[in-house]
Amino acid sequence: MVDMAAMGTTMKDMHQTDRNPTMTEPKISAKNVNVFYGETHAIKDVTVDIADKTVTAFIGPSGCGKSTFLRCLNRMNDTIDIARVQGTILLDGQDIYDPRIDPVQLRAQVGMVFQKPNPFPKSIYDNVAYGPRIHGMAANKAELDDIVESSLRRAALWNEVKDRLDAPGTGLSGGQQQRLCIARAIATSPEVLLMDEPCSALDPIATAQVEELIDELRANYSVVIVTHSMQQAARVSQKTAFFHLGQLVEFGDTGEIFTNPRDPRTESYITGRIG
Amino acid sequence: MTSAAFIVLLAATLTGYWLNRRAAREIRARGERLHSLTTYHGLFAALSVLVPVLVVILAWLLLQGPVIDRIVLSGLPDEAIANLDVNERSLILSEIKSIASGRVFGTPEEWKLAAADRLNDLRNLSGWLMVAVSALLSAVILFVTRRRVSAGFRARDAVERIVSGLMIFCSLVAIFTTIGIVLALVFETSKFLSMVPLTEFLFGLNWEPQIPIREGQIAAEGAFGWVPVLVGTLVITVVALTFAVPVGLFTAIYLNEFASPRLRAVAKPVLEILAGVPTVVYGFFAILVVAPAIRSFGASLGIPVSPNTALAAGGVMGVMLIPFISSFADDALSAVPRALRDGALALGATRAETMLNVLFPAAIPGIVGGVLLAVSRAIGETMIVVMAAGLIAKLTINPLDSVTTITVQIVTLLIGDTSFDNPKTLAAFALGMMLFIVTLLINVLALRIVRKYREIYD
Repeated sequence: MVDMAAMGTTMKDMHQTDRNPTMTEPKISAKNVNVFYGETHAIKDVTVDIADKTVTAFIGPSGCGKSTFLRCLNRMNDTIDIARVQGTILLDGQDIYDPRIDPVQLRAQVGMVFQKPNPFPKSIYDNVAYGPRIHGMAANKAELDDIVESSLRRAALWNEVKDRLDAPGTGLSGGQQQRLCIARAIATSPEVLLMDEPCSALDPIATAQVEELIDELRANYSVVIVTHSMQQAARVSQKTAFFHLGQLVEFGDTGEIFTNPRDPRTESYITGRIG
Repeated sequence: MTSAAFIVLLAATLTGYWLNRRAAREIRARGERLHSLTTYHGLFAALSVLVPVLVVILAWLLLQGPVIDRIVLSGLPDEAIANLDVNERSLILSEIKSIASGRVFGTPEEWKLAAADRLNDLRNLSGWLMVAVSALLSAVILFVTRRRVSAGFRARDAVERIVSGLMIFCSLVAIFTTIGIVLALVFETSKFLSMVPLTEFLFGLNWEPQIPIREGQIAAEGAFGWVPVLVGTLVITVVALTFAVPVGLFTAIYLNEFASPRLRAVAKPVLEILAGVPTVVYGFFAILVVAPAIRSFGASLGIPVSPNTALAAGGVMGVMLIPFISSFADDALSAVPRALRDGALALGATRAETMLNVLFPAAIPGIVGGVLLAVSRAIGETMIVVMAAGLIAKLTINPLDSVTTITVQIVTLLIGDTSFDNPKTLAAFALGMMLFIVTLLINVLALRIVRKYREIYD
C-alpha cells in the first residue's frame, strides 16, 4: 500500500499549482486512438479529453507510448512512413485526421517543443521569426520584430538575448536553447503547445526556469507535457494521464492521481515499483 | 627456369606448413599444452619460407638482366667497342640479344655470334643458379623453423608480427609510388623549365607545342604558354558544373525528401549504373550525338558552332558528374539531424520549406565539399575531352567554340614521335605537374570543408 501521509507531505513541499481547472468544452478530444508502427501496436484504444488553458501531463515508464500519443496530436507521426493512426482526434470539434485538414496548418495551431533543444543553425532572431515568416503572419519588418520580441519575452529569454539577436541560436546554453525553441513554437500563436520531455536534457536550474515558464504559458495555451519526472508532473500540471504498455491506465486531476490513485498500476508506478 | 623457381617456392611453403603443423600436433598428442594453435605453427613455417625466398627470386629476376649485359659487354673484343658511346653500345647489345633469341638478320660478325652464345649460356646458368639458391635457402629455413617447434614457442605472435610487417609493406607501396610519381614529375618539369622560361609557361598566351623534333620537319615555331589550355579546361569544367550541380542537387533533394520508398529503390541503383558507365562511352556519345545536335541547333538559329564544342564535351561530362554530386549531396542531407527536420515540420513548415530553409543550409558545407571533388574530377577527366573537345588551344571563353584542355594536350604531346630531350614532350610533364597541383589544392580545400562540416554535429 502507498503511504498516503508520506506522499501528502512530499506533495506539499512541491510548488503546488491550481488543482481546480474549470472544466468546459475540451480543447482536444481523442477517442479510441490506436497507433501502429509497422506490426507493433504502440497505442491501444486511448480516449482522453484535454482541457483548454490547462497543463496536462503524460507520465509513464519508457516505451509506454506517451510520446507517440503526443505526436498524434499534431500529426507528426505522418512524417514516419511506417506509422498508422486510427480513431478520431478532435481539435475544437474538428477532426484533425480529416483529409480536408492540412497538417501544415494544423502544426501552426498545435506547436511542439522537443526533448533535445533543436534550434536551427541560424541567428536567434531568425529562429523565432521562422514560423511567422513561413505562415505570412507579419506584414512588415516592424511587425515581425514585435512578434519576435513578444515571443522571446514570453519565453523569458528576451533579457538574456536582446543584445545579440544576430548571434547563432546554437551558441546559447542548453536551457537558453530550449527556451528559444519554446519561443519559436509560440511565435506562430498556437492554441495548443505540445512538449515532449522538454527538460530531460537540462540541468536543475534551467529546468526550474522552463517549468516556471510552462506555468505562465497556461494562461494562454493548452499545454500538454510528456515527462519522466513525476515531481515535474506534480509541480506543473493540473491534469495527469498515466500510460502503461500503450494503454491509458488512469486520467484525472494531478492531485488525485498522486495522492489517491485508483488503479494499482498507477500506484505501483508513482511509488517507484514499476517503470 | 623462373617457373621452376616458383614451383620450388610453392613446394617449400606447403612442406613447411605441413611439417610444422604435424610436429605441433605430435607435441599436443603427447599431452603437452601448446601456446599457439597448430595452424599457427604451420603458418609460421610457411610465411618464414615464402617471404624471404620470394624476395630473393624477385631480386634475382630484376638484377640478372643488367648483370648479364655487363658481363657480355665486358667480354666483347676491345677493338669492336673501343670508340663507341653509350647509345651505340646498347644498340650492339640489342643486336646480340636478338641473335641469341634466334632472330638473325643479315650476316653478323663472328664476335657477335660468339657473344650471343655466351649470353645464352649465362642466362641458362643464372636460371639454374636461381633455382639452386632458392631451393637451398628454402631447405635451410625449413630446417631452422622445424627446430623451433615446441610447446612454449609463440607461433601466433610470430605470425602476427610477420603479417603486420606485410601490411606495413603494402601501405608503403602506395606511399612510395606517390612519392616516385611526384619526383618524376618534378624532375621532368625542371628539365622543361630549363628550356622554356617559367614566366613564359605560366603567363604566355600562346600554346603551339608542335615544334620540329627532327631537322627538316615542317612544324610551328613552338610556344609554351599554358594560359589558353588552362582557360579551355576551366571553360569545360564550368560548363560541366553548370549542368551537373543543379541537376545533381535536385536529384539528391528529391530522392532524400520527396521520393516514395519504391521510386527511391529504383532510382538509386540506376544512378549508380550511370556512375559506372565508362568515360569512353560518354566520349563517343558526346562526339556522335551531342556535338552534331548542338551544331544543327546552332545552324537553325544562325549561330556559328564549331564541330568540337566545349558545350558538347562539358555537357556530357556534366552528365557523368550527376551521380557523383547527387550521392554526395544525399549523404550530406541525410546527415542533418532528424531533430532539425522535426523542429521545422512541427512549426508548420511544408517539406519544401523545411528542405530549403533548414536542411539545405545545414548540409551546405558537405555539398560544397562534394562539388569541389567533382571539380577536381572534371579538371582531370581525360577520355571525354580527348574524344569530344578540340586540339587547338584557342584563348576563348565561348562555349560554342572549340577549346582544348590540359589532359588533352598531355595525351597529344605524348602520342607518336616522342623523344625526351625536347620541350614538346617535356611540356606534357609540366602540364601534368600543374594539373597535379591544381587538383591537389582543390582536394585539400574540399577535405577541409568536409572535415569542418563533420565537427558540427558530432
